[in-house]
Amino acid sequence: MSVSVATEAVPTTRGLVVDSLKEEAGVWLFVFKTLLAYYLTGWLAMRLSLPQPSTAMLTTIIVASRQSGMVLAKSFYRCIGTLAGAVAAFLIVGLFPQQRELFLVALSLWVGLCAGGATLYRNFKSYAFVLAGYTAAIIAIPVINDPPAVFDSAVARISEVMLGLLVSGVVSDTVFPSRMRDVLRRTARAQFAHFIGFVQGSTGGNIARDTMEKAHLRFVRDTVTLEDLRSSVIFEDAEARARSGHMLLFNQRFMAASTSFQSLHHLINRLQRSANDAVANALIELYAPIGTALDAPIEAGAAARVLLPRLLTARQQMAALAPTLRNRLGPDAQVRDFDTGAALLSRFVDELHAYVDSAASLQAPRLLAPSVERVRFTRGNDFMGAGLATLRTTLTMLALGAFWIASAWPMGASAMLVATIFAGLFATRPNPTQAVKAMVFGYALGMSAGFICVFFVLTRMDGYTLFVAGSAPFLIAGLVAMMWPSLAGHGLGYAMGFAYILSVKNAMVFDPVNFMNDSIAQIVGLTATAIAFVVVPPAIGSHWLRRRQLERLRRQVGLAAEAPLPGLRHRFESVNHDLFSQIIEQTEPGSDDSRALLAWALAVHETGRALIELRNDMVDGQLPADVSHPIDLGIAALARFYEGPDAGGYLLARDAVTAAIATASEHAIARPLLNHLHLIRLGLLDGDSVLAQYMPAAPIVGEIAHAS
Amino acid sequence: MPREIALGDALVPGLLVLFVLSLVLLWLLDWVAGRFGLYRLVWHPSLFRLALFVCVFGSFALLLF
Repeated sequence: MSVSVATEAVPTTRGLVVDSLKEEAGVWLFVFKTLLAYYLTGWLAMRLSLPQPSTAMLTTIIVASRQSGMVLAKSFYRCIGTLAGAVAAFLIVGLFPQQRELFLVALSLWVGLCAGGATLYRNFKSYAFVLAGYTAAIIAIPVINDPPAVFDSAVARISEVMLGLLVSGVVSDTVFPSRMRDVLRRTARAQFAHFIGFVQGSTGGNIARDTMEKAHLRFVRDTVTLEDLRSSVIFEDAEARARSGHMLLFNQRFMAASTSFQSLHHLINRLQRSANDAVANALIELYAPIGTALDAPIEAGAAARVLLPRLLTARQQMAALAPTLRNRLGPDAQVRDFDTGAALLSRFVDELHAYVDSAASLQAPRLLAPSVERVRFTRGNDFMGAGLATLRTTLTMLALGAFWIASAWPMGASAMLVATIFAGLFATRPNPTQAVKAMVFGYALGMSAGFICVFFVLTRMDGYTLFVAGSAPFLIAGLVAMMWPSLAGHGLGYAMGFAYILSVKNAMVFDPVNFMNDSIAQIVGLTATAIAFVVVPPAIGSHWLRRRQLERLRRQVGLAAEAPLPGLRHRFESVNHDLFSQIIEQTEPGSDDSRALLAWALAVHETGRALIELRNDMVDGQLPADVSHPIDLGIAALARFYEGPDAGGYLLARDAVTAAIATASEHAIARPLLNHLHLIRLGLLDGDSVLAQYMPAAPIVGEIAHAS
Repeated sequence: MPREIALGDALVPGLLVLFVLSLVLLWLLDWVAGRFGLYRLVWHPSLFRLALFVCVFGSFALLLF
């Protein structure tokens, strides 16, 4: 019996071990690579007899905290940041060599600006800012009593930081690299398959509102993820760089097609709700050929090219089908609704074709032609949040500097240096208050470990190999903790505290008094940063910032209504997506906030897009002034309403759009605009959308029936 | 070629200048390789790139010493 138990137990245990080993492999790979970079940097720095090998080594830890692939992208920005920091240090020391107050104020401002920049650019560009602040501080602060030494200090620090960057870049690029390119390719394929599948699956026409909202969420996430990946992969992979333009175009066309698709389904939903089933069914019937055209295997690897001729056929079928369906409808109002839907549908098919086309050219093994159209992904950055970060960091540095001057504290420099590093590192965290707490605790722990390591272990060690053997076990603990999500903050604090306090030199100095003073100074600097986060709370994640961003999102309609037209569609779509994804990251899924936000995003998206199309057609049509004037008024009223939504503004916008429709239907030249105007009006009257709260209490169904 | 170059009256090691030069050259080669998909013929592209850089930088450095 015991034998049978044993044979049963062995495979499960083994499977368990293998599984957990697989999970752990990633962690240990990170630990191994970081250790390799750390000690290789240290060894090189000592061989090259740089004055402070510890700075180079610390740089690898700062950099390791945030790397997961994409290292070359980061290295590029890091180098720029380091050089910018060196130039700033030069300038500050050169301008105020004798006035310590002005010197500290200028340095605080620079470090604050860098922290603000790190907040503004949430992707890998933030590294440049972190390092710019850090480098300026490590160059300028040690020479505060001896300004002429700034040049030597700058050369030494640049060499050390660059060495750290170079080694960690090379190590992570060549030792078991994780290729972001594969992730990018997978993401693009998944986006394509999901969208095509979704379009094909919704041929039935009826999509519930929450399904639609979820789909929108997914579309936005896909878009922003793809853009984030693209912008980093181009540094890593030359082939991806050559295709970058195609990738951008692919993404833009995806946004365009998904927006039109959503507008179409909102229209169908509205028609069904207002008991206009005849029109809705006609549109669904018109839509059917697309469903059959897309009904082809599109798993990863299958070429998107096969869909192109099928889509063209579908388009011809739809063009043939439209007149018969149109004749079947009775009153004038129904025909108008149908026309609006049909115009939207043909726009959607064109965009879908363009999207599939760019997917096919991306999948082609060889690059056929350089990108046809130049597009940009515009980000929606928030300057207030960055301003807040700047203010906070500057205040921290000023407070520390004032304390340093007032108390003539010999270790003030250390405190300021540590505060600089952490101000930059924390600025980008979504929940910095928690992170700071974990970091302070980890830092204290790391310095205690450093004490044991320096005075009990390293005193018995001789030579670099033994130094590695003596200090690696201490460091490994911190690096492993960094990879555990719950302990990441503690781990980073531990590793940095340990690496900083170790302060390895070619001729090692063992000075317990200095060690203790330095530790206390560093804890003071770190705590000052922590206190600053309580005094000036972070904007990220706060209700205030969310409201601001929602306002910005609504103001996007104003952008669609007023900004110059060339390139506006891409700009509108990309800023919309970026803003939306930022806000989504900061709201809990399913909460009231997130629901309101989604509702607004859908309304803004649909209206803004219709406005852009309307304005494009207006420019093409060259309308006489008396026709275009009411339409312009309608556009302006809509923009005002979205900027500050209230009941009065709603009525104004609705009446202005009605007037525009009336004018447009009187003039033959303005007929093509009617579809867009009608779509906008239907969106305004939608009792199910977020605008419902501003509508007068009048019976809504009657309104819609009247309008259509 | 001199071993130290004066840039704006600051003496800069010639190796550093050559380092930057070889970075630029590598970037050009990288662009060509990416444009024509040459990296598909290589087992470990980044290792290949590093090795290529060492070759380029090394042969430049031979000009100095």
